Amino acid sequence: MSGVAHAADLAAGLGLLAAGLIAWLEPATSRLGPVAALAGVVWFAPDWEGWDGGPAFARSVGAVTLPLFGVLVLHLVLAAPRGRVAPGAAWAMVVVGYAVALGVGIGWALVRNPVLDLYCWRNCLDNVFLVHEDPGLARALGRVWLVALLLSGVLLLATGVARSLGATAAARRPLLPLLVSGALVGGVQAATAAALLRTPLEDPRSSEFSSLFLARALAVTALAAALVVTALRAARTRAAVGRLVTELGETPPPGALQGALAAAVGDPTLEIAYRLSSGRYVGGDGKPAAVPAPGGGRAVTSVVREDRELALVVHDAALLDRSALEREIGSAAKLAVENERLRAEVLAQLEDLRASRARVVERGDAERRRLERDLHDGAQQRLLALTYDLRLARAAFGADRDRELATTLASAEAQAQKAFEELRELAHGIFPAILTEAGLAAALRSLADTARVPVELHVTDDARCPDPVETAAYVTVAESIGSAASRRATHARIEVDRAVEALVVEVTDDGEPRDAVEASLVDRVGALGGVLTAAPNLLRVEIPCA
Amino acid sequence: MRVVVADDVMLTREGIVRLLREASVDVVGEAEDADGVLRRVATSKPDVAVVDIRMPPTHTDEGLVAAQRIRAEHPQVGVLVLSHYVEPGYALRLLEEHPERVGYLLKERVFDIAVLIDALRRIADGETVVDPTIVSQLFARKRREDPLANLTTRQREVLALVAEGLSNRAIAERLVVVERTVEAHVKQIFLELGLEAGPDTHRRVLAVLAYLRRDA
Repeated sequence: MSGVAHAADLAAGLGLLAAGLIAWLEPATSRLGPVAALAGVVWFAPDWEGWDGGPAFARSVGAVTLPLFGVLVLHLVLAAPRGRVAPGAAWAMVVVGYAVALGVGIGWALVRNPVLDLYCWRNCLDNVFLVHEDPGLARALGRVWLVALLLSGVLLLATGVARSLGATAAARRPLLPLLVSGALVGGVQAATAAALLRTPLEDPRSSEFSSLFLARALAVTALAAALVVTALRAARTRAAVGRLVTELGETPPPGALQGALAAAVGDPTLEIAYRLSSGRYVGGDGKPAAVPAPGGGRAVTSVVREDRELALVVHDAALLDRSALEREIGSAAKLAVENERLRAEVLAQLEDLRASRARVVERGDAERRRLERDLHDGAQQRLLALTYDLRLARAAFGADRDRELATTLASAEAQAQKAFEELRELAHGIFPAILTEAGLAAALRSLADTARVPVELHVTDDARCPDPVETAAYVTVAESIGSAASRRATHARIEVDRAVEALVVEVTDDGEPRDAVEASLVDRVGALGGVLTAAPNLLRVEIPCA
Repeated sequence: MRVVVADDVMLTREGIVRLLREASVDVVGEAEDADGVLRRVATSKPDVAVVDIRMPPTHTDEGLVAAQRIRAEHPQVGVLVLSHYVEPGYALRLLEEHPERVGYLLKERVFDIAVLIDALRRIADGETVVDPTIVSQLFARKRREDPLANLTTRQREVLALVAEGLSNRAIAERLVVVERTVEAHVKQIFLELGLEAGPDTHRRVLAVLAYLRRDA
């Protein structure tokens, strides 16, 4: 071996060993550490095997452990970044890989006599484990190993390419170094295996083999470096999660924890669902949060403190291992989660209260609408029928036959008419049908028709809003106009506009200053999450209208 | 005169039909909803369809929508909408697209046979009918500077009848004056209010109603 090759050989093996130790020390990648360290040890197996004049036992061990290197690298890359191989195809590949490597190693130990190996060059003397020499079987095992090496190289290459293209951008970032360097190792390994299948004698003097060896050593060094980068990144993430509490400060705004955690672990899609005492899950703003079912690339990690679930963290399954996250959210961070959970609980209660107020108002409105309908379709129709019958009766008797009766009937008819009109006004007062049917602008125009003060109506945008919102706006205007008239105003001005996702209605007048706003109005607007502003001659409501 | 009657309340519908038949009006069809009246109108081509404003399913303005469709699809068929609402907005909506051969009367007029027959005739003759209550509500509207205050009592009387949809001849008959006098009044009123006097009776109804409904 040349000096350069020696240096590369040492760098690759020692690099893997060191990277393995570093990864071992970092909790998030500790499962990758032993695999990498072992790969570093096995990397030197050919050197043990080829130790001229070394102990026969060492040379024999080198020869039989040598096939393990390929599968160790495969294991390392497939288990990245958290140390677990995903169940399924990846897991099966790793298991088969170990089986083949061990099979070949043990097989060689039992039947290979290097002295009889035509193509031996590193060690043509020692195999202390030999039980029964079988050169044919030993050669066959050699071919199996080379084919397995070729396949695992291709698999590594394919996995590296597929996973670096397939994952989400956020999930890809921490994986990329291992995937790319793993693919490199795989590519060189496949090429080496192909060359050996073609030319069984690995002659270090041929430029083909020496450059392949150099490339492999460099790729393995890169893999070691990638593992160090991955481990350091994980350490930084863990530290960032640990620092969350200090970074959030004493009174972080609602929902800040989710953003901070997302930034700390590098998953912008991360969401926190806080568990309320009632068992419901809400976001930091107290609004109901959806907890996804397992699968579909979303992982759900439970944050537990003193045997009680505080929250669920929904995150990218590929990016963050559940147990890793559980580990990384330390006790200080859990305190932050608990604080935020308590606030979410209060916000959720407020939201529940608001929703319940909205339901009360809505039920009231529905009842009024039903009453209005009943008056039209029930009482009014009856009165119409009564008018009709009275008219028939009057016609049948005739004014000439009984003047008194005719007068009575005419009076009854007039009364029925009057009752009909009063009922109509009553129905309109209970609930103006035009509001539901034609919307706020039309209803306000109708209000202006009959107002007791001159009214100017300015509608900038008359896009429809949900019924409760329009009703609240209408009731506000009706109250203001009525109040303006009783405060001897000479005119009132109504402005209807749309702010961002809100309906804004403002009524101004020139009457005497108003005392107070009716509590029912404040309730109604508040129940819809709106704001009512009152001044002596102004009433303004802003109600959310998505 | 051939008429189709649409009202979802059987009692009322039958009452109207009976009154119309007694007044020798030929009732050629009855319907209880908007689709029904559209079918009836299409098959029997009446002179006028009498349509209740509240019909299934929502009982709000189905009748108004049906009326507008009848006017759009059968220009020769007039429509009289019977309404439960004193809403000038509804009357204007009815008049806006097809100002001729339409009427908006309050429901309680229905059993005053003279009013009903007069309205049907005027609609069949191509005129417009607006309920006097609607007009008087618009007249009573509060204004900061009321341009109507500058009109004489007689002029206001004429203006109200114009708003109800009456032609000059009909106004003359109603007020027992000659048509020329009415013409002069109308010209003077329109000048006073700054309205443009169109030759078309229906357009002037719409113009007057819209004028009365302005913000002031």
